[in-house]
Amino acid sequence: MRRLSPPRTSQIIIFAVLAFFLIWWVPFSHVLPDGVPLRLPPYRTYQASMIAMWVIVALGLNILTGYNGQISLGHGAFVAVGGYTAAILMVDYGWPFWVTIIAGGVIAGALGFLVGIPALRLTGPYLAMATLGLALATPQILKKYDGLTHGTQGINVRPEVPPTPEFIKDWFGISLTNDQWIYLLVLFIAFLMAILALNIVRSRIGRAFVAIRDSEIAAQAMGISVPRYKTMAFAISAFYAGVAGGAYVQVVGYVSPESFGFLMSINFLTTIVVGGLASTLGSVLGAAGLVLVPSELPGLLGHIPGFNVSQDLSWAFYGGALILTMIFAPYGLAGLFHRSVRRVSSWAPRSRAGILVGLVVGVAVAAGVGFALGLAAFLITTAWVWAPPLVGVGARSYSRWVGALRSPLGSPGRAEAGPEAPSSQDHPDAER
Amino acid sequence: MAEFWQQVVGGLATGSVYGLLALALVLIYRSTSVLNFAQGEMAMFTTFIAWSILQWGEYWIMFPLVLVIAAGIGALVERVVIRPVEGAPVLNIIIVTLGLFAIFNNLASWRWGGIPKGFPTPPEIHVTGIKFFGGGALDVGPTAVSYHDLTIMIFAVGIMIALYLFFQYTPLGLAMRATAQNPVASRLMGIRVGRMLTVGWALSAVVGAVAGLLIAPLVLLQPPMMMGVLLYAMAAAVVGGLDSPVGAVVGGLIIGVSEALVGTYTPKDLLGPDMKLTVTLVIILVVLLVRPTGIFGRRTLRRV
Repeated sequence: MRRLSPPRTSQIIIFAVLAFFLIWWVPFSHVLPDGVPLRLPPYRTYQASMIAMWVIVALGLNILTGYNGQISLGHGAFVAVGGYTAAILMVDYGWPFWVTIIAGGVIAGALGFLVGIPALRLTGPYLAMATLGLALATPQILKKYDGLTHGTQGINVRPEVPPTPEFIKDWFGISLTNDQWIYLLVLFIAFLMAILALNIVRSRIGRAFVAIRDSEIAAQAMGISVPRYKTMAFAISAFYAGVAGGAYVQVVGYVSPESFGFLMSINFLTTIVVGGLASTLGSVLGAAGLVLVPSELPGLLGHIPGFNVSQDLSWAFYGGALILTMIFAPYGLAGLFHRSVRRVSSWAPRSRAGILVGLVVGVAVAAGVGFALGLAAFLITTAWVWAPPLVGVGARSYSRWVGALRSPLGSPGRAEAGPEAPSSQDHPDAER
Repeated sequence: MAEFWQQVVGGLATGSVYGLLALALVLIYRSTSVLNFAQGEMAMFTTFIAWSILQWGEYWIMFPLVLVIAAGIGALVERVVIRPVEGAPVLNIIIVTLGLFAIFNNLASWRWGGIPKGFPTPPEIHVTGIKFFGGGALDVGPTAVSYHDLTIMIFAVGIMIALYLFFQYTPLGLAMRATAQNPVASRLMGIRVGRMLTVGWALSAVVGAVAGLLIAPLVLLQPPMMMGVLLYAMAAAVVGGLDSPVGAVVGGLIIGVSEALVGTYTPKDLLGPDMKLTVTLVIILVVLLVRPTGIFGRRTLRRV
C-alpha cells in the first residue's frame, strides 16, 4: 500500500485551526459555571496572547532562516521597532491601534530591507554575528535618543489599548474582559499571518527562497535574482516581526528598552529550530513550547516529591530539554509530528479515518514531548548523580542507543556540515 | 596624550581577554564549524571552581589544577552532548550549545549563589630581580600600566606562542590541523577524528578558563560575568576570521582598543560611553562588509 505523503496545506490549516481553537477555548472558559477546573486565571490568557505573538515572529523568522537559509539573531530589534512605532503612534499621535500595528510592520519591514542589503555579502556565522550586533545595539539606541522613544522610562500604552468592542457582546452574548479581547485580537492577527505565510512559501516567491537556500548558484542559473529575493526575505521576515511588536504592545501595554534584550532574539531562533525549520506548523509548536516550558518547568519540577533542588535548577533542566530535543528530534517538534503521522497512517487503512488518527496521535506526541523531555532530563541527571557506578555502562549503551536512533538521518561524517548549512532539511550543501 | 595611551593600553589588556576567549571559540569553530555559545559560561564555571580551590590552596597550585579540570569539562561536554549531534545541521548544534549555556549558568548560580565575589590577581613572582604579576603599576613612557594588565597581555602572548608551537611542531597538533582541514581524508590516514575533536574541545575549554581567571579580578566573579565578554569575543572572532587563530587575537585587540577609544573620544551628547557597544558593532559591520570572512579568514571557494 502506498504511504501517505506528509500532510498538505489544507490539513495543516485544519490542524492550526484545531490547535488555535484549543488554545482559544481555555481563556474563554469563564463562560463555564463556577467550580469547573478549566476556569483559568487571567495569567493564562496573557500566556496564550504571548504565544500568539511569538507565533507571528516565528513565522517570519522561519521564512528567513528556514526557507531562505539566512540566520538572523537580531529579530528582537525588528520586534522592538514595530513595538515602538505602534506605541509612539498610539500614545503621542493618537492613531487607532490597528493602523499602528500595520505601521509597525511596514516600518520594521523597511528596516529589514535595509539590513538585508549588507546581509547579501555575509553568510552563516558572520551574518549571525552581524544581526546579533543589531539586537545588542537596539536597547542602547532606544535609551540614548530619548526625544522620540521616551528613553529608559519606556512608554505606557495601557490607557490607549483598545477596549472590548460592543458588537461582541451583542453578537455572541458573552462579555469579555479586556485581556481576553486583546487575546482574541492577537490570535486573529496570528491566524491571518499564518495563512499569509503558508501562501508565501508555496508561491513562486517561496520556491525561489528555497532554491536560493539549497544552492545560490543553481538558483541564479535558473534565472532567480538572488539579491532581490534575499532582501525580500529579510523584508517579509522583518514585517512579521514588526507586526508582532505591534501585537506585543497591545498584550503587555508597555514597552521599554529592556523589553527587547538580545536574549529575546536568541530565543526566537531557538523557537524555530526546536519547532522545526521550514515548517509553519513548527513555528506554532515552537512558540508554544518556548513560551510555556520555561515558565511552567519550575512548577512541574516542584511537584516531584523529595527533590527540592529541582526548582532552583529549572533553567538547567530547560537547557537539558533543549539538548535532548536536538538529539532525539533533529527536525524539531514538527518533524516529530510528521513522522508520527506517517507511522500511524502507514498502519491504518488509507482513509480519512487513518489521517485523522494520525493527526490526533501527532498532536498528542507534539503536546507531550515537551513534558516528556523535561522528565527525561530529570531522570537522566538524577540517575547519573545518584548512581555513579552505573555511569560507565550507561554512557556506553547511551551512545550506542543514540547511534541507532540517528542512523536513518544519513552518514554521521562531519564533512557535510559546512559552515554555511543553516537549514535543517537534508539539502545538498553546495558550498565547500 | 597621556590619556590616549592610557586608554590604548587598557584597551589592549581587555582586548587580550576578548582575544583569548575568541581563540577558544576559533579552536572549536575550525573543527566543528559551530559558534560555541556556551564558551563563556564554561569559563565562568571553571573560574568558580578556581575560587573554591583558592579557599584552601595557593594561587599557583590552583592554576594548573583548574586547567586540568577545564580540560576534563571540555572533553566531557564534547563526548556527552556534542557527539550525538555531530552530523546534524549547524543550527541544531548551536541550539545545543545554548542549552549548555543554560545548564552551566544555572549550575553555577545554584552552587555558588548570585552574589559577586572578589577574585585575586596572580600573586607576584620575582625572576632575577624583575617583578612579574601582582598589583601596582609600572611607568612606561608617558603612561602607567597596571601590573594586572601586563599579566593579562603576558598570558595572552604566552598562550598564543604555546598554541602555535603545539599546532606546528607536535604530532598531535598536526593531526588536529589535518582533522580540521579534511576529516574524511584524516580518518583514512589513520587519525582518530573523534578523539581529535575531544582534544579540541578540551583545549578550547583550557584557553577559555585562562580568560576567565584573568578577567575575574576586573569584573567580579558572578554567574553573568562572561556574557558581555563572550559577545565581544564572538565579535573579535568574526572580525579576525572564524578559522584564523591569529585573527581571533588581532580581532580581540582591535575591539578592545576601539571600545576604549570610542568611550572616551566621541561627543557625549550624540554618542559617548553609552554607545560604545553600538559604535564598536558598527565598526565590525564595516570590516565585515569589506572582508565578509573577516580580516584573516579564508575565503570559501564555491564549487557547483
